[in-house]
Amino acid sequence: MTEPKKVYRFGGGTRLAHGIHLVCFFTLMITGLLVLFAAGSEGSRIIHRIGAIVLVLAMIFALFFGQTGRDFRYWIKATFSFKKNDFAHAKNFPVEFFGGHKPFPPQGKFNGGEKLNSLLTILGLLCIIVSGFIIWFPQVFPGWVVQWGYVFHAGFALLMGAVLIAHMYLGILHPDSNQALKGMMGDGYVPARFAYEHYEEWYNEIKDEQGLVDFASEKQA
Amino acid sequence: MSRKMIFVDTAICTGCKACSVACKAWNELPAENTQLITSYQSQDDFTVDTWTFVTFDEKYENGKFNWMMRKSQCFHCGEPACMKACSSEAISKTDSGFVVIDQDKCIGCGYCMANCPWNIPRVVQSTFPKDAKAFKCTGCVNRVENGLAPSCVSTCQPGALQFGDYDEMMALAYQTLAIRKENHPRAQLYGDKIMGGTGYLYLLEDDPEVYGLPANPKTPVSLKLWKDIVYPLGGIAAGAAVAAVAVGVISNAARGNYRNKPDHSEH
Repeated sequence: MTEPKKVYRFGGGTRLAHGIHLVCFFTLMITGLLVLFAAGSEGSRIIHRIGAIVLVLAMIFALFFGQTGRDFRYWIKATFSFKKNDFAHAKNFPVEFFGGHKPFPPQGKFNGGEKLNSLLTILGLLCIIVSGFIIWFPQVFPGWVVQWGYVFHAGFALLMGAVLIAHMYLGILHPDSNQALKGMMGDGYVPARFAYEHYEEWYNEIKDEQGLVDFASEKQA
Repeated sequence: MSRKMIFVDTAICTGCKACSVACKAWNELPAENTQLITSYQSQDDFTVDTWTFVTFDEKYENGKFNWMMRKSQCFHCGEPACMKACSSEAISKTDSGFVVIDQDKCIGCGYCMANCPWNIPRVVQSTFPKDAKAFKCTGCVNRVENGLAPSCVSTCQPGALQFGDYDEMMALAYQTLAIRKENHPRAQLYGDKIMGGTGYLYLLEDDPEVYGLPANPKTPVSLKLWKDIVYPLGGIAAGAAVAAVAVGVISNAARGNYRNKPDHSEH
């Protein structure tokens, strides 16, 4: 029996949800910047709202729909259970970011650095959605709530833009972590050794299920 | 053209509402169905077609009755919060000191309305974004810049509205205040010390709150935070992220991480 050299990391639904999020995020970011910094962009306001509705509905659907929903909820649960091992990984993030290496304890399906990105994404998105809803309907909310809504909406949007730049670097340009790219933007598979090195705990959980090499015993042997 | 002012002496306003009619006539604004709101007040609030109206409050004090009437419209602030909040550079201040909205640039975002301390501009609610525009009193700049007084001023029969150069009107306001204080000890000016000095300056017979006005209108703290701190910080954050990525790529290349990429597909 030939050992699979690849690990199935993200299901089709998760990849689709990520793709919808990607398209919506770029649409919202561009139209949002046009509204704020380009004169006479009435059309952007409408596209911005359509993008927002698509994003929110897609995320709600993804959260509750079948296997994708289970994966989505697993991700959220994992993100908010930030433990010692996650911290140990996230601590090394700057070193890894610039191409260095430092040992870190075995990670679950999502490592500490990814959990930080997830945390920022989930909380940032919630703030943007809530404040966006408020400033869409200014006549419904008290004046000061609307005024602060503008601050939160713009502030978190800009923060998310910065996070996105780092996220895209790690996914596309970073020579080590970009091995995960196909897991989310391709067929859902990542190299087995990459998975073992970056998510040892998760790898050991799924290695029998997916019939994968046992790197740990190999090392001992 | 030097800065202008309309001095509003509420003590001699008779509440005839001719100012609001003159405003509609000059600016070609359609009449709207109105109803009695309170006392003799017939307009509840600003609309896109009603840029000025008279508020009525009744006061009994020491067995004496007094009308508290005030012509309300855009204050034309020296430091307009709406202008700072505008997303599209559609709001500007003329040399004559009037704050005007360019409807060709306006995209109807409503930031001006939400950040005005008096909540004065109104935005057309429309499903077609091209029609969503903000409107408010223009100070009749098209009249002022041609040597005429604003429409409301030229129609005011008792002379409660006086138009002229800012400094002259300010002097007149202080003179008049001294006289009004004889009968109305709490009389005060409203607009000389707020929002950079307002283009419509009021002589009120009583505290601003009696007229439903905020005593200390200010540019919202959130607006300053938004435009003066969040925007620059957001730019810095995005710039820092781009710089970090550039450094990341360079340092990865310098360490040879791109060339010596371990081949994980083989094992």
